[in-house]
Amino acid sequence: MIWVNVLIQGILIGGFYALFACGLSLMFGVMKVINLAHGDIAVVAGYVAVFLAPQLHIPEVWSFIIVVPIFAVAGYLIQRTLIQKSIDRDPFTTLLVTFGFSVVIENLLLEIYTANGQSVNIGALIGDSIHVSNVIYISYISLAVLVTAVVVLAALQLFLSKSGTGRLIRAVADDREAAQLSGANYRHIFGIAAAIAFATVALAGIAYGMMTEFAPTSGGVNLLFAFESVVIGGIGSLWGTLIGGVLLGIAQQVGAHINPEYQVLAGNLLFLVILGVRPHGLFGKKTAFS
Amino acid sequence: MNHELEETSIEGPASIPGWGSLEFSRRLGLQALGATALAGGIASLSSATLAAAATKSHVIKIGYVTPSTGALADFAGPDKYVLSLIRASSYFKNGITIGGTKYSIQIITADSQSNPSIASQVTTQLIQKNGVDIIVTSSAPETTVPVSAVCEAAGVPCLSTVCPWEAWYSGLGGTLSAQGAATSGAFKYCSMFFFGVPEFVECFLPMWNRVQASTGANKVFGGMFPNDADGNAFRGAFPPIVTAMSGGKYSFVDGGAYTDLSSDYSSMISTFKNGKCDFFVNCPLPPDFNTFWKQASQQGYKPKLATVAKVMLFPTDVYALGALSNNIATDAWFTPYAPYKSSLTGMTGYQFAANYQKKTGQQWVQSMGSTYSLFEVVIQALKTVKNPHDRKAVAHALQHVNYVGMSGPLNFAAKTNPAPGVGIIKPVGIQWKPGTTATVGHKKWSWSPYVVDNTLNKHVPLTGALRPTNA
Repeated sequence: MIWVNVLIQGILIGGFYALFACGLSLMFGVMKVINLAHGDIAVVAGYVAVFLAPQLHIPEVWSFIIVVPIFAVAGYLIQRTLIQKSIDRDPFTTLLVTFGFSVVIENLLLEIYTANGQSVNIGALIGDSIHVSNVIYISYISLAVLVTAVVVLAALQLFLSKSGTGRLIRAVADDREAAQLSGANYRHIFGIAAAIAFATVALAGIAYGMMTEFAPTSGGVNLLFAFESVVIGGIGSLWGTLIGGVLLGIAQQVGAHINPEYQVLAGNLLFLVILGVRPHGLFGKKTAFS
Repeated sequence: MNHELEETSIEGPASIPGWGSLEFSRRLGLQALGATALAGGIASLSSATLAAAATKSHVIKIGYVTPSTGALADFAGPDKYVLSLIRASSYFKNGITIGGTKYSIQIITADSQSNPSIASQVTTQLIQKNGVDIIVTSSAPETTVPVSAVCEAAGVPCLSTVCPWEAWYSGLGGTLSAQGAATSGAFKYCSMFFFGVPEFVECFLPMWNRVQASTGANKVFGGMFPNDADGNAFRGAFPPIVTAMSGGKYSFVDGGAYTDLSSDYSSMISTFKNGKCDFFVNCPLPPDFNTFWKQASQQGYKPKLATVAKVMLFPTDVYALGALSNNIATDAWFTPYAPYKSSLTGMTGYQFAANYQKKTGQQWVQSMGSTYSLFEVVIQALKTVKNPHDRKAVAHALQHVNYVGMSGPLNFAAKTNPAPGVGIIKPVGIQWKPGTTATVGHKKWSWSPYVVDNTLNKHVPLTGALRPTNA
């Protein structure tokens, strides 16, 4: 029974990792940009939810309704200006630029909101759970995050494979020059991909804010787990990212069950093993998102 | 490598409470000394010349190093208000007469940015550039240890507070026995007031006993101690002191040495549930307690009483946790309800806190009392010296202050003190509950701390009933 709980809790936390990793996976798959500010963008979403939602008289639980569109627009604009400029130079510049972006965000947040910890307050719901047995409890919030992750990733996969824009994104991801020759405006397509990525990371940031307390410097912690989820699942595969997140979550839970000291270590070991045995990840493909 | 070995060879549980372990604070001290070693040659040279010039000066300069920004900024929240009161008090406004000469007093503040190396840098600057006579500092080993280390090296009198004394003492190179008692002597220039691990136990244990008696709770306590300097030190020191003080009444379940900033605590929660840990103690980073406590509630771990250290000291943590904060207990070293008054102006603690809320619109926090007392103690010391620029005399006077002020009775030379130059103030147990207009200044906050156990300090009246965290 206890192992069933270990598995369930692993899957639940894995859902969060997958949601967090989704935008990273997309930006890496399409633009080949490793966005080091990914975690900080999530934290900004948390701050927007905490400080903007009450002003608009929206309960913090529903803050994603306004935060997600704002982040989609911001994502498009930042991609078309800051990130595109650095892509035009070389891959290392994107690393430096997103790293710089991360530092700027952290310091701005510190300046505006101080170092005080914040949390997206959703009332009594945060402590509630489905009581399966004396050993197994499934918290509503974790379940909601897992469901959101699955829905978002499924919808995105569907969008990429079925819609016209989705096909364009895949085309650009596969071969930018060829797509450009066929008349695709790859900069605009990159912008759309970034908009989607920012929207999903905003969702993840709000979820993170509900689950714990964040401060301006909290972004880096989850960036590592998101990155591991992407690599385990395989670059260029959204389902892979979901599976990667879940496997990472389970590995951490198994490690923690043996000894809490091994929680993070077990996840990192899985990451190393996958990297050694299947460097392109479990579901990694030559052609992204096919 | 040798360096590492040397540090880890310190024996015994380096009884460290709240914020920082022996090993960690030793590093801070060494780091600070390293920083001054560079600038330090100059420091000692220029301090000699400055001292010569200063002996003739009719100005006493006090440097105040505080974490105005960064992760420890909560502690420094009331600084501006406290300093405005201090500066308006008569000694600071009109000057103080020492040995027939009238001196004016100047306070210069410096921001440590919550960073140990910046703390030692600004301290060096205060000494070299500003030629301060005395340095006072507050808030966690990350601030007090490097500041004190620089002062000790440069020969400037220094007074610290809000740092578990063991961390401060060992951080400055003092040695502790396995039981956590000081085994080396006084420092030449440094003194401090606060409390240590035994007081944490003395503060929490009576609350456990009362809740145990009223609910028949299991006599088992779970410890959420991270795999960091604080956590390992707490794991080493806290359980043995509980056993000694309770006569073995409570048994201990270790939640395991988890990594800071973990995102999931399910396995620790199962451990506590299986061990039927009706009491809970910890010393985590604030976001980790937030995550843990939410997950504990979700997964049905509801200890009868949670007594936490290092978190829930300030309203910030409480508001971030929301409704789940109800009846979580922690320690408080200053509350507005004690019958204590300013030794400078006679202002009561109650007025002190109520005016803060009125002036700033912020809820009172416990660090305001200790910050205020830093300056009270300095005045007490200055009253007993013949020359305020005589550093040795001032340092000696600071180590022998015995007075009653904003933090209550404080005797730096008491026989019961754990180490020379270390004054002890006694914390009381508080619980966070929804606010009412009956609290300080009749201002209702969403959450307020209520004094629920005053076993350690009977001066502080109870303002609320001790209730189980989970019924």
